[in-house]
Amino acid sequence: MKDVVVIGGGPSGLATASELGKRGYQVILLERNDELGGLLQQCIHDGFGTILFGESMSGPEFADIFISRVRDEGVEIKLKAYVKSVKKKGGHFNITTVTPKGIEELKSKSVVYAIGCRERNQFEIKIGGTRPSGIYTAGTVQRLVNLYGILPGKDVVILGGGDVGMIVARHLFLEGVNSILMVYPEEFFSGLPRNAQQCILDFDIPYRPRTIVRSILGDKKVKGVELIEVDEDWQPIKGTEERYSCDSVILSVGLIPYSEKLEDLGAKIDENTSGPMVNEYFETTVDGVFSVGNLIQIFDYVDDAVKTSFIAAEGVERYLEKEDEKNLGIKLKPGDNVRTVTPQRIDQTTDEKFSAFFRPEIEKENPKVEIVSGDDVLERHVKRYVRPSMLEEISVSKDILLGENEVFIDVR
Amino acid sequence: MGINAKVKRTLDEFPSDVSFEVKDNVVFLEGKVKEYRDWVKIGSEIGDIDGVEGVVNNLECEGKELTDIEKVIDKSKGKENIRIGKYDVVIIGGGIIGCALARELSRYEIEVALVEKEPDVSLGQSRANNGMIHPGLAPSKDSLKRFLNIKGNEMYEDLCEELDVPFKRVGSLILITPRTMKEYKKYIPNPIYKFFLKYILPWIVKKKGDLNGVEDIEILRGSEIHEEEKNVTQDVLAAVKIPSTGIVDPYQLTIALFENAEKNGVDFYLETKAVDFVKHNRAVKRVITEKGTLECEYVVNAAGLYSDFVAELAGAREFTIHPRKGVELLFNKRLNGWIDRCLAELKIPSHPTSKGGGINPTVHGNIIWGPTAEEIVDRNDASVEREKIEEIMERYSSIIPDFPKEEFIRYFAGVRAATFTEDFVIRPAKWVKNFLHVAGIQSPGIASVPAIAEYSIEQLKNMGLKLKEDESFDGTRTSIDRVAEMDEDVLERKIEEDSRWGNIVCTCEMVSEAEIIEAVKRGADSFDAIKRRTRAGMGECQESYCLLRISEIISREMDIPLNEVKKEWRDSEFFDGFVRGEEL
Repeated sequence: MKDVVVIGGGPSGLATASELGKRGYQVILLERNDELGGLLQQCIHDGFGTILFGESMSGPEFADIFISRVRDEGVEIKLKAYVKSVKKKGGHFNITTVTPKGIEELKSKSVVYAIGCRERNQFEIKIGGTRPSGIYTAGTVQRLVNLYGILPGKDVVILGGGDVGMIVARHLFLEGVNSILMVYPEEFFSGLPRNAQQCILDFDIPYRPRTIVRSILGDKKVKGVELIEVDEDWQPIKGTEERYSCDSVILSVGLIPYSEKLEDLGAKIDENTSGPMVNEYFETTVDGVFSVGNLIQIFDYVDDAVKTSFIAAEGVERYLEKEDEKNLGIKLKPGDNVRTVTPQRIDQTTDEKFSAFFRPEIEKENPKVEIVSGDDVLERHVKRYVRPSMLEEISVSKDILLGENEVFIDVR
Repeated sequence: MGINAKVKRTLDEFPSDVSFEVKDNVVFLEGKVKEYRDWVKIGSEIGDIDGVEGVVNNLECEGKELTDIEKVIDKSKGKENIRIGKYDVVIIGGGIIGCALARELSRYEIEVALVEKEPDVSLGQSRANNGMIHPGLAPSKDSLKRFLNIKGNEMYEDLCEELDVPFKRVGSLILITPRTMKEYKKYIPNPIYKFFLKYILPWIVKKKGDLNGVEDIEILRGSEIHEEEKNVTQDVLAAVKIPSTGIVDPYQLTIALFENAEKNGVDFYLETKAVDFVKHNRAVKRVITEKGTLECEYVVNAAGLYSDFVAELAGAREFTIHPRKGVELLFNKRLNGWIDRCLAELKIPSHPTSKGGGINPTVHGNIIWGPTAEEIVDRNDASVEREKIEEIMERYSSIIPDFPKEEFIRYFAGVRAATFTEDFVIRPAKWVKNFLHVAGIQSPGIASVPAIAEYSIEQLKNMGLKLKEDESFDGTRTSIDRVAEMDEDVLERKIEEDSRWGNIVCTCEMVSEAEIIEAVKRGADSFDAIKRRTRAGMGECQESYCLLRISEIISREMDIPLNEVKKEWRDSEFFDGFVRGEEL
């Protein structure tokens, strides 16, 4: 019987596994791919590690730090490992894996899900038209260009004005495509301002706000797209259709936590984050099942995603050592001008403070961030500037929550 | 009144300048109409006339010229001087019909060839439908459709068993709700309206089914309905339960028929477009294709959407295809369990752009909504308009109102090869001796497949084809083993033999590297061909994880560079050149 099985060898899985190894637990790390590092391996741009390590690294460099750590801490690693099922039986878990070495039944006292997210595809955003070759998600393009040295096409339309789309646009520009057009339904780029500047504006890459791809054109290969303008509610405006020639369409239209496997295990899912509901140690609603990184919600920085690993490692230790007290179950919810909040509940009284992550719905200078119960403001935080593209973190005192049923995070 | 008089009377109702000619009960229309809508309407009304066996609609209208035969078939590309072979029967078209007929003919000691313009079988309407094996309730009593549907439906267990293709006789419910005849509601007092819907209409539907030869139809009311299907709308008044309805994976079945026919000696020529025929003494002697010439004793026209063009090349044009598009929405497997049977809400009169459709389970555990029905000009147009997706979500949600209708993972369109008589056209050509039409196959075409194959062979026999059973015929075929459906001890053994069975490359559908390799070995040479044979890429992420990983396996197994891996056709390679300054 192992102490913990960590599913997913991306940054947050690596960090969780190494941290638990360091704390002396027997850890198995399962990864479906043939290498560790997850999405970071295809992110050759820099900007990783500025929060955790105070220096800007590429994705693979950042991953390497944690890959060395899991190896140093003696974590047992299984690559090309497909998790067929996870079943809770009594106080432990039976995990069935399929690998090129065979089928293996693992037993562990706890499980950490670190399976991240997937990219939204053309169907989820109802792009019409034909289905030729030449439509890719941004992640596929990153892999294609950075790992294989192959371009998706020569004339590219990128749908989505977020960070990934902007970074891919810059990459393709530098790698020599003929033309790039970026379109997105928002009024402004939805990614970080620094990316808008460094990836799009600095290279004079053309962009069109309030525009989406209505249809794909072409039978065998993409021949173009039909663009259409949208209003403030992202509804297409009739009469603004325009045909635009291109040979590939790249979708960077959002990430969705891979929460279905957890749902199958009985974990409750938060409609706002699309990830599992977790407590302050990132334990899901199923005892002994934890969740870290982008599976909880989509983080802007890998550094923040990895922070959840350290907190969850603490939670796993408390679970394994049976240090948990009664579950308080105080609910934490998004209040005024807030879209998402994690954790969604507070269970334990230990530790004075906990980290709460929230995504604001508005852009505002010097806003007040308030922890509210009914009409009472329990605690007030000050932020310099908030915007929807930036996930915010606050450190909340636990004692103020005691006795409450549910509290809200408001931004004013 | 003769056909001439009836046609004339029908045409008098239209203001247009249309002339006609009748030859052997086939009506030829000449002239001009304004809109495509009129083109379809006139054709349909003539097709409805009793005794009319075909409508050749040569009317001109705006936009129609885009789909002229010359746009599709270039006779000058035919390679007349290259002889490919000599066959007793040449089948034109590798859809489910052509493949089923090829397999059926492979039981006999004759030489059979099939030519298909696309690089794989099943690329027309055979791949883009909901796989429903209809019970035979909808077609009219005297139609060929009804006869073949009832018979074909009964043959499905045996066929799918032999070919190792999943088939489920799930049954269906036709739901009668307050919306069923809502256009008449205002003319009828509510209690009478409800009484009619609850007690009379189900009986009428059952009676029609009984008369058609559909067996074991039951009428359900009240709680009986929700005991059968817990999630159907609460306001359902009655339901007609039909146990014989089934479901199948239409492209897997087509591929299975193809593989088995090939095993039994049929020569398949894929990516080989027939562009002309050489005739002598009112009989086709040679089929000219873009790759060479096939000598033949008999020709079968199973060209689906292009069957009227193929007929025209042979001088056997007795009908015109008016393409009718249908869009379907496919839902996440996780919703498996929401319904057990095929469900449809009866609407009288039927919806102008969608005559039927409903909510069906698939054999793989998905749920599928649709199809719509829309007359279109361009038979090659399988595009889906954004608005159609919303229309389907709106239209079928009244059947199971609580269903999470936003959780679809894909949508697609298929184009039905409808003729104006709207019945199957399975008969010897009227003016060519050795040419058999197996055309106009639309719903319930898939359900009728096994019977169509048998019936077509009867026709060929009547035309003089001599058939002697081939004792070496082996009607069995096995599918590619699926890791997702394998018992653990079997999988364990397979991985021991070959570790690639344990390398899962599509995690949504749990498909292993070994399955991909097996598909390539069986002749799949594109991503989509592999997808249809293994289900890789058909899960919720829709290829975003496995596209590159599988392309890499294809590239390795076929020994081609990654940027030459194609989606389906030549000229549909996925990736472009190399990044600046790099070569592989």
